[in-house]
Amino acid sequence: MNEDFWLVLPVAIVWAILALVYALAPWGDMIGYARVWGFGAVLFLGLAALLWRRTRAG
Amino acid sequence: MTDIVKRRFAALPGPDQYLLRSISAIALLALAIGVAGGVLTALARAGFLDLLPETAYRMLTLHGVNVFFFWLYMAQAALLLGFAAIEDGRGLALRGVAVVGFAAMLGGFLVSLYAASSGTPLLYDGTPALAAEEPATLLAFNGGYVLLGLGLMVLPVAPIATLLRKRPDAPREPMSATGFALFVWAGFLIVSGFAAIHAFLPGMLWALGLGAFPASQGTNWHILFHNLHYLPLMATVLIWYVLVQALTGVKSVFGARFSKIVFSAYLVFVPPTSLYHMFLEPDLPATVRVVGSLLSLFVSVPTLTAFLIIIASLEVHARANGARGLFGWLGHLPWHNPAMAAMGAAVLNMGLGLALAFVLIQAELAPLLSDTFFVPGYFHFFTVGTVSFTLLAAFSVMLPGLGGRNIAWPGVMRWMPWLATFGLLLFGGAGVAAGYLGVPRRVMDISYGGEAPAYWQALMATVGVGGSVMALALAVFAAGVAMALLPRRIGATVGLPDTGLGWGAAAIPAGTKAWVGPLAILVIVLAMYGFTTIGFELMQSLPLTASGGAGH
Repeated sequence: MNEDFWLVLPVAIVWAILALVYALAPWGDMIGYARVWGFGAVLFLGLAALLWRRTRAG
Repeated sequence: MTDIVKRRFAALPGPDQYLLRSISAIALLALAIGVAGGVLTALARAGFLDLLPETAYRMLTLHGVNVFFFWLYMAQAALLLGFAAIEDGRGLALRGVAVVGFAAMLGGFLVSLYAASSGTPLLYDGTPALAAEEPATLLAFNGGYVLLGLGLMVLPVAPIATLLRKRPDAPREPMSATGFALFVWAGFLIVSGFAAIHAFLPGMLWALGLGAFPASQGTNWHILFHNLHYLPLMATVLIWYVLVQALTGVKSVFGARFSKIVFSAYLVFVPPTSLYHMFLEPDLPATVRVVGSLLSLFVSVPTLTAFLIIIASLEVHARANGARGLFGWLGHLPWHNPAMAAMGAAVLNMGLGLALAFVLIQAELAPLLSDTFFVPGYFHFFTVGTVSFTLLAAFSVMLPGLGGRNIAWPGVMRWMPWLATFGLLLFGGAGVAAGYLGVPRRVMDISYGGEAPAYWQALMATVGVGGSVMALALAVFAAGVAMALLPRRIGATVGLPDTGLGWGAAAIPAGTKAWVGPLAILVIVLAMYGFTTIGFELMQSLPLTASGGAGH
């Protein structure tokens, strides 16, 4: 089992959901939060993909 | 056991060792400048030193910029690279990328040093309104942080590539718990670098005439700040995890996978807990405020879980090796080693810091306390007592292995974390009480023309004494570690005498109990209620109450 992949993927998913919530939030100036967490979601999705590739290549 | 780790550092390629020593040296230089600025600020606030207001604010700016940004992040960069490089014993992959990242961070350090030393002192959050008439000042100030952010986005690529490299003997093996923690730590550093650029690039563009005035820099600062104070705690717990194994031979009794889940949880909990920085927003709905307050309590879940893993693992191994009594096993730890003393003091200070942090992040109390001296009173338990001493403990293991001398004065060094903790109890105790009683933060002259209560000055004098003691202890400990940067004398051996502990080899009898960790958590929760109750009692005794508007 590729446990490292399955431990990083939820990080990307949670960050993506939060980025979406902040982007649509009707209160305050939250677009900055959405940008940072959105960037993080993409980054951790990429890191998860690298972990998947590492095990497959193994 | 520490000798094994030092030998792994000693086996790294020469260029890796040179890079790690260079980053470590700049980190320690930033710490020295920051501590000097901090002492002068504390003495000014105590009334012991008569500084012109602009000079006092410049000292506070130099303190915040150098400690909070460049010491904490240069140190994390050095330790991340170092521990990733020894993970499989083959040194760094993509070393050139790490060098480019370090060059950007070094450039940021020099630019920030210039910006903090000239022009209007903007304090460490660089409020752009203070530089509305001085675009050149804002350009330099924000430029330093943008370069740091750029370095933080580039440098971690090297440890990520290093950790992704397959082991020749086990190509399908998942990462070790330490390797996985380093991997997600590197990712989090990249996000923090992005957040720094996101916060400070608009101000740079305005100063260059290429954009609008950065009106939302305050909000963007909160996003960055959430990462900036969360990330060093994650690094701290990871270092405890590594150093406990190095000093005692003990690995987690819960297995590597559970440790990985905890380190992964750090990142899962980061975004949802960031809402409490918005408590001072006037249009934040009450329901969001309540949800944010509840979510904010989750901020400590991964830290406390990792703490439990480490303490429980140590306790059951100590009992398997003959330790007796509820607390008797603590006496068996290698307290003569300065790294162990630093970690012990760090755990104590983290408990105090957490209990006080739980007070501040309550939605009802945040507006009342965020502009008071409560904030610096509580967070120095984290920044000095917990994080800085832990980072220095890691350097005390890494630097002697990189061709340097042993750390200096180990007999004196082992007492410095405890002396700093004593200073912190004075600084933090008086500072928190001063905050409860309305003493503002970031205000140098609090006499208010003789109208301020007399006890304000007495409390701030205690803050000045405590701050001086903790700064002295931290400076001595840092100087002792910095001596390991000097080239080793001919014929000298590497490292302190071994701790002699190899607890990890002993079999653990079924049913071995470990109660100290859970008891410590219970004490922290009770302290949280205690500090909250004291806060309400003290604030209700005040003649008037006003809510703040800027926050931390």
